Amino acid sequence: MPVHPTIARALARAVGGRSVRERAEKLAFADAGHGFDPFGLHPDFVSVGDAIASPLHRRYFRVKSYGAENIPVTGPGVLAANHSGTLPMDGAMLWTDVLHQTSPPRAARPVADYFVSTLPVVSTLFARCGVVGGSRGNARALLEAGELLMIFPEGVGGIGKPFSERYRLQTWTKGHCELAIRHGAPVIPIGIVGAEEQMPQIARIPAPKGSPLPYIPVPATLVPLPVRYHIHYGPPIPVHEDYRPDQADDPAVVSEAALRVKEAVQALLDDGLAQRKGIFR
Amino acid sequence: MKAVLVTGATTPVGERLVRSLIADTRVKHVIAVGLEPREEAAPLPFGNRLTYVQADLTRGRKVRELLFGPARDLGVEVVVHLSQHRDPNAWGKRVHRVNVEALRSILDLAHRHPTIRRVVVRSFAVVYKVSMDLPVFVTEDHPLNLGAGAPQYVRDRVEADLTACARMGLSNAEIVVLRCAEALAPGTGSQLFDFLEAPVALRPMGFDPMLNVATIADMVCAIEAATHGSGEGVFNIPGFDTLPLSAACQKWGVPSLPVPGPMVHRLYSLRRRLVGSQFRYGLNRRRLHFGLVLDGTRAREELGYVPSHPVDWPIGATAVSPLPRTPA
Repeated sequence: MPVHPTIARALARAVGGRSVRERAEKLAFADAGHGFDPFGLHPDFVSVGDAIASPLHRRYFRVKSYGAENIPVTGPGVLAANHSGTLPMDGAMLWTDVLHQTSPPRAARPVADYFVSTLPVVSTLFARCGVVGGSRGNARALLEAGELLMIFPEGVGGIGKPFSERYRLQTWTKGHCELAIRHGAPVIPIGIVGAEEQMPQIARIPAPKGSPLPYIPVPATLVPLPVRYHIHYGPPIPVHEDYRPDQADDPAVVSEAALRVKEAVQALLDDGLAQRKGIFR
Repeated sequence: MKAVLVTGATTPVGERLVRSLIADTRVKHVIAVGLEPREEAAPLPFGNRLTYVQADLTRGRKVRELLFGPARDLGVEVVVHLSQHRDPNAWGKRVHRVNVEALRSILDLAHRHPTIRRVVVRSFAVVYKVSMDLPVFVTEDHPLNLGAGAPQYVRDRVEADLTACARMGLSNAEIVVLRCAEALAPGTGSQLFDFLEAPVALRPMGFDPMLNVATIADMVCAIEAATHGSGEGVFNIPGFDTLPLSAACQKWGVPSLPVPGPMVHRLYSLRRRLVGSQFRYGLNRRRLHFGLVLDGTRAREELGYVPSHPVDWPIGATAVSPLPRTPA
């Protein structure tokens, strides 16, 4: 790791304000010894992430959140949101928002695509902030430990969607509902309004052979536009109460649950779009 | 009161296990089996309750003579199989016989043995496949490393593990496989120990995977729990220490140098040729990128094993994080 935890702590203190320090002190995490959790999360790096993302959250994207009381205060949960924007700023803003809106603060565990773990430096820094690889085993272990998973069921298809497809949910994977049913966790639908216009994608270049990246995006802007984010948290969908754990093996049940989540996210997006006054407002 | 036979008794883990079993009032007798003559097995606590047998387990006849000789006469109920070739650079038929065929013979004979009711097999975390699309925190159903390109060191361990697993439920003896985290100690064949013992540890640049390392003391505790337990199955045996590779280097007091991935392999190959090091980068390449931590839930629930012996880090336990430890 290029950065030592003590340096990370000093960096967080230097860059972050008092609120970042307070959140770091209250952050709950499962210490497997030596200050790290089994997946590599370290609270000092969470603070660094918080310190770096907070200005973006507060000043650049001016995030407004609605219904944050729907985020579980304790216990397992699956946060399922729409994904977009060429660069995963929506993930960073949602992660930061959950950290800010929960008390005691909870570091959501974003589930990333496999290729992320092959990226030097990025994979390590992400892991220190709580990102985990998208395998069932990782998700299972985290839900059993009572963590809050952050999943974008659209996956790479969402982040790379063409501008013309904005706010239209792409192929919606079902694994998040299977996990929630099997491991007794509610699904919290989330509609992120704003991110879909931050960096319109005009083309994709096929990634070179051997590259871990699925493709190379060609955005219309070099940096994300300062759109305003509106994060809408919907009421938890109690799939863990509506279905028995053994029904996680039933494809029809899982599809039905995933459709409920997809419709809830789409409804949040539609409401959010109707409510907002403009892309930058 | 039971009698226990321990193979690989002159290895660091074997020796500690034999001492512990001798001190255990539930054990009436221990048969320690080693390749060396008794005089060279001096660290063992010889006494009335310990019988040392020099035997080459690669020979089926010797295994038969052992199990249907002293083991039967002393009423051995549990066989603990620790014997494995520890050099990752060793290869060939004899190594395979040590790693796999000896276990196969023991399992065959235990099936029809009059007194043996339990065989405890020490396996290794190295049998697990490490990949970007697989969990970091692994349970017993994690895919095994069956890659055709894996070195014999790994292939033999996977084969031995599967040989034991294939007999579960079919043998008259209960079979327990303990997939142990790497013991960070000399003489155990630990790749990580050799990695950390180098003057400079070369790490793949940009990667800092999570590791779980054990101590011989914890390994002995787990084997003892399996020896006295009931039922059979596969159990992960994690160690107490879970930490990133960089933190392990720091606590060990070895400077670590991040090097671009393709160069690490060449530098370690060169080092192996020049210095004769046992560390093989090819064997550890994926682990040094993606990490692997054993989930010990099953061992805790069924064997009552909880790792409790931290590694005695040369630099001290508080060097990396002064945060107080809270239960996971």
